[in-house]
Formats: sequence, C-alpha cells, structure tokens
Amino acid sequence: MSTVSLSTEQAPPISVPLRFFAVAPLFLVLAALIGIMGDGIADTHTPALLAATHCITLGFIGMIMFGAMQQILPVVIGSPMPSSRLVAWFSLLPLIFGTLSLSGGFLLGNSALLHLASLLLGLAFLVFIAASLVSLARAAARNTTATAILLSVLALTAAVALGLVLAQGYASGWQLNYPKLAAAHISLALGGWVMLLIVGVSYQVVPMFQLTPTYPKWLSVGLAPALFSALLLNLAADYFEIHTLGFFAVCLFCLCAISFALVTLKLQFQRRRSVPDATLNFFRLGMISLLCAALCAMVVLFAPAHEYFRQLSIVIFILGFALSVIHGMLYKIIPFLVWFHLFRGGVKKGVPNMKEVIPEHWMWRHLWLHMATLLAALLAFFWDTATWLLILGLSLQGVVLSFAIFTGIMVYRRTYQRLAKV
Amino acid sequence: MNTIAEFMSTDHRACDLTFATAEQAALTNSLSKAETAFETFRQNMQRHFRMEEEVLFPALLDAGGPGGPVQVMRMEHAQMNELIELMAAAVANKNTQEYSGLSETLLIVMQQHNLKEEQILYPIADRILAAELESLFSRMQAIQ
Repeated sequence: MSTVSLSTEQAPPISVPLRFFAVAPLFLVLAALIGIMGDGIADTHTPALLAATHCITLGFIGMIMFGAMQQILPVVIGSPMPSSRLVAWFSLLPLIFGTLSLSGGFLLGNSALLHLASLLLGLAFLVFIAASLVSLARAAARNTTATAILLSVLALTAAVALGLVLAQGYASGWQLNYPKLAAAHISLALGGWVMLLIVGVSYQVVPMFQLTPTYPKWLSVGLAPALFSALLLNLAADYFEIHTLGFFAVCLFCLCAISFALVTLKLQFQRRRSVPDATLNFFRLGMISLLCAALCAMVVLFAPAHEYFRQLSIVIFILGFALSVIHGMLYKIIPFLVWFHLFRGGVKKGVPNMKEVIPEHWMWRHLWLHMATLLAALLAFFWDTATWLLILGLSLQGVVLSFAIFTGIMVYRRTYQRLAKV
Repeated sequence: MNTIAEFMSTDHRACDLTFATAEQAALTNSLSKAETAFETFRQNMQRHFRMEEEVLFPALLDAGGPGGPVQVMRMEHAQMNELIELMAAAVANKNTQEYSGLSETLLIVMQQHNLKEEQILYPIADRILAAELESLFSRMQAIQ
C-alpha cells in the first residue's frame, strides 16, 4: 500500500465536491421547466422527455456522483482520485455544457448541438472514468466495495459509449436499431452505473453510518457480480435475440435488486441508533422504491401486454431510488464536509457541529416534498393534471436543495473568515 | 479471534453500541442515565485509543509499517477526543441540543475513521504482525 493513500491530503479540498453539489440542483429545475413543454411521462421518446430525463440523469445524478466519488473513494477504498482539482474542472464544465447542448439538441432537433454534446460529454466522462480507474488501480483495499465500484465504472463506460453512438446517430441520420441501442444504454446506465455504485457504497455506509448489523456475506460477495452478469446476459440475449435468456437475465437482475432492497430495509430495522434521522428515511424510501421498480420490471416480464410498467419501473428507479438515496447522502455529506474542513484548521472554538450547518427541519420538509413529487410522478401515468404537480415538485426540490447547499457554503465561508481573524 | 482486523473491529462495534446507548439516554432527558452511559462510552473509546496508541501502532511502526497512515489515525483520535470532551460538557450542562449535534458529528468522524482502519490499516497489521498476534492480543486486553 502506498503511504500517501491515508495522508491528511487524501480528502480533496472542500471546493471540489461542493462545486458539483452547487450546480446539480439547477438541473432539477431545468428538467421541470423542460417538462412544461412535454406531454406527460408515459412516452419516453418525445424530445422534451428525452431532454428532461437527461437533465436529471446527467445534470443531477451524474453531477452529484462526480463530486461524491472524489470524496468517497479515499474513505471506502483508501485511494483518492489523482489531481482532484484538474479532474474536477475537466469533468464539471464539459458535463454542464454537454448536458445543456444535449437537452437543447433533443428539444430543437438540432444536429450541431448534438455533435457538440457528444464531444463535451465524451470529454467529461473520459476524464472521470480515467481518474476513477487510476484510483481503483491504486486502491489499498481489495474489498467487495472496490469490486462493485469497478463494475459500475465499466458499466458506465459502456453506457456512455452507447449514448455517444445514439447521439451521433440522431445527429447524422444513421440507420441504427435505435430501440435496441436505447434499451441497452438505459440498462447499463441505471442498472449498471447507478445501481452498482449505490450497492458498493451501501455495503460500508449502511452498517457503519446507520449503526446496523453488517450485510450477510453471501450478499456482499455475490450481489455486484450477479447484477453485472445479469446485465451482460441481457445484452447478449437482446443482441442475439434469445428471448429465454433475456427472460432469465431480467429475472435474475430483479431478484438481486429485490434481495438488496429487502436486506437493507431489514438491517435498517435492526439499527442500534434510534434517533430520528431524515437521511435514514430518504434511504428507506429509496429501498422501497427499488423494490417497487424491480416488481414493475417483473410485471412486464410476465405480462408483456402491460408495456407501461416498463416506463413506470424506470421512473420509480430514477426519482424514487436514485434521487432519494442521493438526497439522503447530500444531507449527511455537506454538513460533515463543512465541519471537517473547519475543525482541522486548528481553532476549534466556534466551529458549528453538523446539526448547525443545514437546519434539520429543512431536511424533513424536503423529505415530505420528495414523497409528494414521487406520488405525483406515479399519478401522472393515469391522470394528466398530476404531471403539473410533478413539474412543480421537481422544481421546488431543486430550489430547496440549492438553498440547503448554499446555506452550507455560507456557514463554511462565514466561520472560516471569523476563525481567520482569531 | 484470529486476526487483528476481527479483534479490533469487534471492539469498534462494542464502542458503537455504547455510543448509541449514551445518545439515546442524553436525548431522552434521563439525566442520571445519560451521565453513566456517557461515562461508559468515554471509557470504552479511551481504552480503544490506548490499545492502538500504546500497543498496536508502536508494534506496527517497529515492524516497518507505514508511518503516514498511523500519524493520521493518531490525529483523528485527537479530533475525536476533542469532540468527546465537548460532549462531556454538554452532558454536564444538560444541553440536549448541543449533545445531539456533537453526537451526530462524532458518529461520522468515528465511522469514517473506523472504515479506514478496518479496510486498510488492520489488514496491513495482520500481514506484517502475523508472528506476534497472541502477544499483541494479550497486551491489548490487559489495558484497562
């Protein structure tokens, strides 16, 4: 192991993760604004819904994951990303402008914007993936978390490559099998990148930070490879058109996801700490959503006539699972970063503790707002007016989260300046 | 116990348990219980720090283990001790709100510290101190 991997400098400067966190909520607002132009969420292929979805997946989820990985890797695998500031700039800026161009390209049907988006997003992900792989290669810890993160980065690489092919194809009018490629792109991005990353980090975060028993060994060792194999089998089945294999692969994936959600909920039920915690409730909501998303995907498998369950599954996965877990994580990580970077400065008196950074009642209000948004998203499948509630909920969430993050940054700045004078 | 990782991780979990009991007592305003529970937690933590700082870390360094990480772990112990002292003051002043914020902070500091030890430092210790495990265990157990 290299001695630098646990040095004091292993944590990136506070500005690195915070700049990603500060930008990301704006994309939730943008997604909501674009949603006004669309007509509901039941059909993924309208330009407005494609644009809005990518604002959420790239602009919000991707943005937060880019920032959080810089912070989390040194702790969970003992290896920071190289050149954190440089990686931050070369992934943040192209991700912002790439997502904007992509959404603009979809909305306006503009080829030049789609070409530009491919270039910028290609650069953002190239930098991020390369930095993640270097960090993984240097990792002191070879544990189940490192394996899951590696598999998630591999899935991300394939998802991005397919995304680039799709964008270039749309822009240049190539004759491609778009539904098939899009299905592979979605399964690798959500089932691969997002799912595996959350699984890998949960192995350590849930038992330690929520004071629960540890995950059973069969699950922490077997789950990530099983999920990844199911994804590969599904891709092969789709490519070679072997329907039985596809059926088996989706079943395997859903059963793995269901086991993960149920085991996590059970562990959280057995936690030793009984203090009410908004973060924990966000995480629980995420697990319940994952369970529902997997069940919806299985309905399509056994009753192919109910095609809209596929779309329902994707919506629940993104808004219910990914967003809930991310919100919960942000409300822990931001107060911790503010405290950590102030407390290690030497002057301890007057450093706010974690509960003095973002007001707790704010987190609880966001949790209720998030649940209402999720409910509106489900209703929107059957009742058009609910689409407006979804748009309202999503934009309010962007504002609430921006306020929380801005508050964290201001508390840091004010305290830092005050301490500097002491 | 066969490894340092198991031995020390078990002690981490034991500290976690007293942490949760102390927090519960402090936040439910059962004052006499809070003081006793907090004292147990503080003693457990100090015993754990001493096992590392007086036995494990010196043995690790003597066997040519990595100095940088050990230094970081010592610094984090100092950070946690400062938080624990602030918590002691909050218990003495019966300031529930202050205790709750400090306790939340300590939990994160403590767990990210434990993660680094359990994932990285203890496995290294197991590799380079394999020959003297028994003597290390008995020396650590002797610490009160």
